[in-house]
Amino acid sequence: MIASKLTNFSASGDPRDRRLILKYAILTAAIVLPLVWAFLSVRNVYPFAAWNLMMTGGDLERGHTYCILRGETVAGETIDIPPIGLTNAMYSRTWTLVNATINNQSFKLESIHPANAELIQHAGGVEKLPAGARIPDLLETWGRLYNSRWPDSSPQRLKGIRLDRYRWEGGSYSNYQNFVESWRKEL
Amino acid sequence: MVPSSAFALGIVRAIVSGTFLVSVAVTSFSALGSLPITILRPTGAMKLLPWSFYDRLLTPGGMTLLKWAMVLSLLLSAIGFLTSISTKTSLLFVVLYQGLVRSFGHFNHDEMIAVYCLAVLAFTPCGDAFSIDARLRQAKRDRPLWAYAYPILLMQLLMAWVYFSSALIKLRVAGLDYLSADNLPALSILHSLDNLHDTHFRLAFWLPQVRSYLPVVVGLVLVWELLFPLAVFWKRIRWWILGFGVLFHLSTLFFMNIFFPHQLALYLIFINWDGMVHPPGRYANGQRR
Repeated sequence: MIASKLTNFSASGDPRDRRLILKYAILTAAIVLPLVWAFLSVRNVYPFAAWNLMMTGGDLERGHTYCILRGETVAGETIDIPPIGLTNAMYSRTWTLVNATINNQSFKLESIHPANAELIQHAGGVEKLPAGARIPDLLETWGRLYNSRWPDSSPQRLKGIRLDRYRWEGGSYSNYQNFVESWRKEL
Repeated sequence: MVPSSAFALGIVRAIVSGTFLVSVAVTSFSALGSLPITILRPTGAMKLLPWSFYDRLLTPGGMTLLKWAMVLSLLLSAIGFLTSISTKTSLLFVVLYQGLVRSFGHFNHDEMIAVYCLAVLAFTPCGDAFSIDARLRQAKRDRPLWAYAYPILLMQLLMAWVYFSSALIKLRVAGLDYLSADNLPALSILHSLDNLHDTHFRLAFWLPQVRSYLPVVVGLVLVWELLFPLAVFWKRIRWWILGFGVLFHLSTLFFMNIFFPHQLALYLIFINWDGMVHPPGRYANGQRR
């Protein structure tokens, strides 16, 4: 049935149909060719995707670092704060947002934001920047968004927010929580 | 096998636009606009836009404006009003927005198939039926059936490409090492340790206990991905393949805290909407064969 529908492409002599065939051919090529290129080069170049997610699988021997966002409330409690509840647009992407910020990736672009260029100049070079140079800004945003949900008098409001980084050394399915470092922002 | 009526293509338009509409409606754009622009890393085509554009857009007000423009455009596209314009503006807005969130995080793949479907719909006669435009129009559009069948077939093939190419890339890059017993548990645990993922299921920590069976599970997933194109052409096994897909994506949610809701929603393009609404042998709108 698919074949019969598609062979009908050539059966029509109507100029309107021929224009539509040409339009469909261009549309198909415009989508498919870049996707095939992305596949062959195993590169994602937005908006063209190579479906390379999890292509290498997990490696038990390699160590991994990971982060936990925590808040310190006015009442003195320390609570876990999943950032998806604060910036839900970053659904499925928050952990790479944080990792890229820790690695100062936004300072290593071909075209750098003027404010970042200024910070690099002030520090004397990208390599002189501390890890996570923009993490305090990110923490401040998340802290402000969290506090905006509570009245000013609430003991649930945060007085500080921090990002704790841990390392799973790998090699075994244990020993997951080795503290590495922490960034803190007073609110 | 592939639906071939203007009605079916109209339904697909409503599904694709509706999926993005719901997704955008429940998202806080003002919170996104609060993120510091200094952590943005424009990716791919997003590099073509100047920083001054992002400076203006990435504010709570700018992002809220973008949200409501998107909601309006996607709503018009979903109901099929001013379809040839609203599908194109929807594509433009969605490409901009998806590029923006990928410029903060990484190039994740969940929404991408829906973006490509939106691109297909923007340049095909998807407003000829199941739309306000069709109701307002006096005369029926006289187009051949393939004008509606081909876009649906193309979208189904793109979905098949997602899985098929994913399996090929894994085999190309990792080879048979991909079937190692530690692949799945190590990856799943890595995605279950932080609180930066959207869910916090802990089933991954159970996987090491059954690690010797996992190469078979991973192998089955690879075979399923390679066989996915059969869902386009072979009706008899289509629902088995799609059913396995639902199971697969639910498993990644519970074991890895990674979920692909947009991609799952687009499984609906495999439904033969003609068969559900019109008896076999009859076609809506009296279209030409």
